[in-house]
Amino acid sequence: MAGLAQVFGFGAMTNHQNDIRNSRSVMIIGMNPAENHPISMQHILTAKEVNRAVIISVDPRFTKTSAFANIYCRLRSGTDIPFIYGLINIILANGWEDKKMVNERTYDFEALKAEVAKFDAATVADITGVSKEQLFQVAKAMADNRPGTVIWAMGGTQHSNGTAVVRTYCHLQLVLGNMGRPGGGCDVFRGHDSIQGVTDIGGGPETLPGYYGIAETAWKHWSKVWDVPYEWMLSRFKSKEMMEKPGFTVARWYEGVLLDPKELGQDTNIKAVFFMGHSTNSMSQMDRVKRALEKVELIVDFDPFVTNTAVLPDRTDGIYVMPAATNYEQWCSSTNTNRDLQWRQRVVDPVFEARTDLAILIDLAERLGFKKQFIKNMKGSWKGVPASMKEVKALPEQTIDDVLREVNMGTLSIGYIGQTPERLKRQQQWAHVFDIKTKKAVGGPVDGEQWGLPWPCWHDKHPGTSILYRTDIPVAQGGSGFRALWGPKAPDGQTMLAAEGSAPAGGPNAGYPAQKEYATDLTRGAIKEAMAEGRHPYGNGRARFNSWNIPDPVPTHREPIHSPRPDLIAKWPTYDDVKEHYRVPQPYKSMQKPEWAKQYPIVLTTGRIVELEGGSAAERADWWLVELNPEMYVEIHPKLANDHGIKNGDWVWIESPEDMDGKPSRIKVKAKVTKRVGPDTVFLPYHWGGVFEGKSLASKYPEGTAPYSVGESANTVTNYGYDRVTQMQETKTGLCRIKKA
Amino acid sequence: MALTTARMKFYIDAKRCIECGGCEVACKNENNVPQGIARIRVVTVNEGQPGETNIAVPCMHCSKAPCVAVCPVDALYTRPDGIVHVNKETCIGCGYCLYACPFGAPQFPKGEPFGARGVMDKCTYCAGGPDEPFSEKERRFYGSNRIAEGKLPMCASVCSTKALVAGDAEEVAKVVRARAVARGSGVGAWGWETAYPTGPRL
Repeated sequence: MAGLAQVFGFGAMTNHQNDIRNSRSVMIIGMNPAENHPISMQHILTAKEVNRAVIISVDPRFTKTSAFANIYCRLRSGTDIPFIYGLINIILANGWEDKKMVNERTYDFEALKAEVAKFDAATVADITGVSKEQLFQVAKAMADNRPGTVIWAMGGTQHSNGTAVVRTYCHLQLVLGNMGRPGGGCDVFRGHDSIQGVTDIGGGPETLPGYYGIAETAWKHWSKVWDVPYEWMLSRFKSKEMMEKPGFTVARWYEGVLLDPKELGQDTNIKAVFFMGHSTNSMSQMDRVKRALEKVELIVDFDPFVTNTAVLPDRTDGIYVMPAATNYEQWCSSTNTNRDLQWRQRVVDPVFEARTDLAILIDLAERLGFKKQFIKNMKGSWKGVPASMKEVKALPEQTIDDVLREVNMGTLSIGYIGQTPERLKRQQQWAHVFDIKTKKAVGGPVDGEQWGLPWPCWHDKHPGTSILYRTDIPVAQGGSGFRALWGPKAPDGQTMLAAEGSAPAGGPNAGYPAQKEYATDLTRGAIKEAMAEGRHPYGNGRARFNSWNIPDPVPTHREPIHSPRPDLIAKWPTYDDVKEHYRVPQPYKSMQKPEWAKQYPIVLTTGRIVELEGGSAAERADWWLVELNPEMYVEIHPKLANDHGIKNGDWVWIESPEDMDGKPSRIKVKAKVTKRVGPDTVFLPYHWGGVFEGKSLASKYPEGTAPYSVGESANTVTNYGYDRVTQMQETKTGLCRIKKA
Repeated sequence: MALTTARMKFYIDAKRCIECGGCEVACKNENNVPQGIARIRVVTVNEGQPGETNIAVPCMHCSKAPCVAVCPVDALYTRPDGIVHVNKETCIGCGYCLYACPFGAPQFPKGEPFGARGVMDKCTYCAGGPDEPFSEKERRFYGSNRIAEGKLPMCASVCSTKALVAGDAEEVAKVVRARAVARGSGVGAWGWETAYPTGPRL
């Protein structure tokens, strides 16, 4: 997400899943939609069948998706940048680049050219393992079959240079001219229900809702929306400095518990942790997570099922397990991967003691003494919230309407304006009139609307923007240029505004800066003014090959922190150590030890399988799903298995190098011998929990709540490593060794 | 729409099935099928290698069903709409149908290594059984009766890639025809290697 935002201006999927039906080539890199996004395969396979689209699968594993690919490239995990640069190199050498796109709508192509020149096909083959011939085949297939889309997921981002990897995917699409047109785009698939919505609403520690950041202007804007004095908001924090300092991330919060406060970006340790629909078995460094859970004073686990969190720590007190309502037990709006909003109907009242998310949050605010401020905004108080929230399990539907209206009111930056509860509910009634390929309604009261009113949706007549950065249609119909986020000029003096002739139809036919104060003018006057002139409120700028404000402005290859190639570490080392990143120290170079490749020679990668999802507290408690995939396993290539004397179904130990405090970890799992992985790599699904380093924790579940299947968590052995920008964990590339148990 | 009696058919598209298992789970949930019994299962060949192919296999409700032909007590029968059903109160558990069926559709209770076979269970096309539709007895013996409710079988309803298509044979045939036309032949969607397996593309 951060990678996309640094190139185009918005951290979101640019096209939509249905739009893949318009693609003539589909590159699936670092993702496995057949297991993780099964429905999207409908669109991918339709493109293959109807458009004869070339499907290219690039992955260290021959996945269930690879089975449907015309071209499969087995890439060493963590070498995406050399692969993509190898492609761009071939595209440029043959003059296949889209010159109009590059010249008129991008910034600093020269810098990219200089960088990709280092990656000739032989170098790429050495680093990635993809042959020269195959690289050429892929480049030619992408160039010959436009428009094409590039789809990725966690395989691209869960690396110490994940943000840089994502930027190169974007660069490939810019060079091919695949941006801002149907069938093209950078289609990152998000991995959880409404996770795009969570990002939009400010789930991260560095921003308030709508990507406003956490500087004073952002706090002032939102204080105005929430109708609370800025001074009151400020008084809730220890200081203005702490108010404007990014907090801990989900990837490394436990360091805030474990490390000496002198090493932290704040002067105390974390004392309490509140989990809301998040599992601990999806976090790397499980051993440290466990110790943090043992040290922290209070743990609240708010989930429909009892999760790994409740049983992992060796403690007898201070863990509160609270039942949450599922999505069938509450109304809500949710935002999917392609920015579409959808209204969800409640099916049943919350069962047993379960409470809805909103009920529990308002109750928490009440007990902490700021309920009054919590449930109001500049247009008044939310209706339907009782005076006391104690014992209240669910709130009426209009309360959920009020929440969405507040979002509509304040989130002007990304155009969360036109997705009103009324419009979403109307779309729900008229779902059948939307076209499957374009997502556009034909006739009826929703005529012309895009399904889900994807943001930006600028007013309550705007159809939404299904495809971002599209200049062939007017702004009023969902057209836009790249976001002019970085001002009119780059630091080197070059223009950051699009060239003449590249602008959304119907407005000024050139680049222009963002409308002044469009994101903070709560009267929406600035937005109206821009729309009236056919200009896009966020301007018409250039996409960046050179993101000067972040590490590695032009992405370059860096070996994973745990790389099996000491020779390449010497040439392409990781980053310098960082003293403070999201309030914790983040070493890079001092954690990259070339000698590990000898002691731990096997690449360890992790991922998901179709039967389970995330931490899988719910799925492993489902009889039918457990029957299909009953126990934790490791995928091992027949050669590697035979070299270690391991047969299919044998128990094996997976051992990984030490973490930050010098402790190695290990797990005991069953071997699944398969050619899905190459002989140098093993794969672990990360869904299991309830067993730690060979010891079952099943007896620790409260009576009757243990799932049908418990197993070792892959994240006990995933290695140390975090993205330089977002702090995403490097769980796609690590090192390990295996032993027969 | 045809005015003749509908004949219900499954079509399973091996070029579309991604082995998500949705059909297996939905079937079990809908019909309350016990563990160890699979009224539908996804079979994968060449797992993890080029040529990996998946296909979901329920009862195919054959026109001239071999199971019906071999059943010594006529517990198996073909309904007028083409759905093959078993009457569990007539079945003697001889297992002839198991050997006659080319798809492995008949299921028998497992549990003991040398146990008796017990009464056969199979895919009902989500059409219940010979008992009164929607009765408690029908539900307990055979599961749901979505056909009587005017709905498609659960497996086809949830198929994520529309690999499993169900319904009136005439309608199913239209889907098959449309896909065949779109995919074409030769070097079309399925590649040079499929069309000309003997030689590489120059």
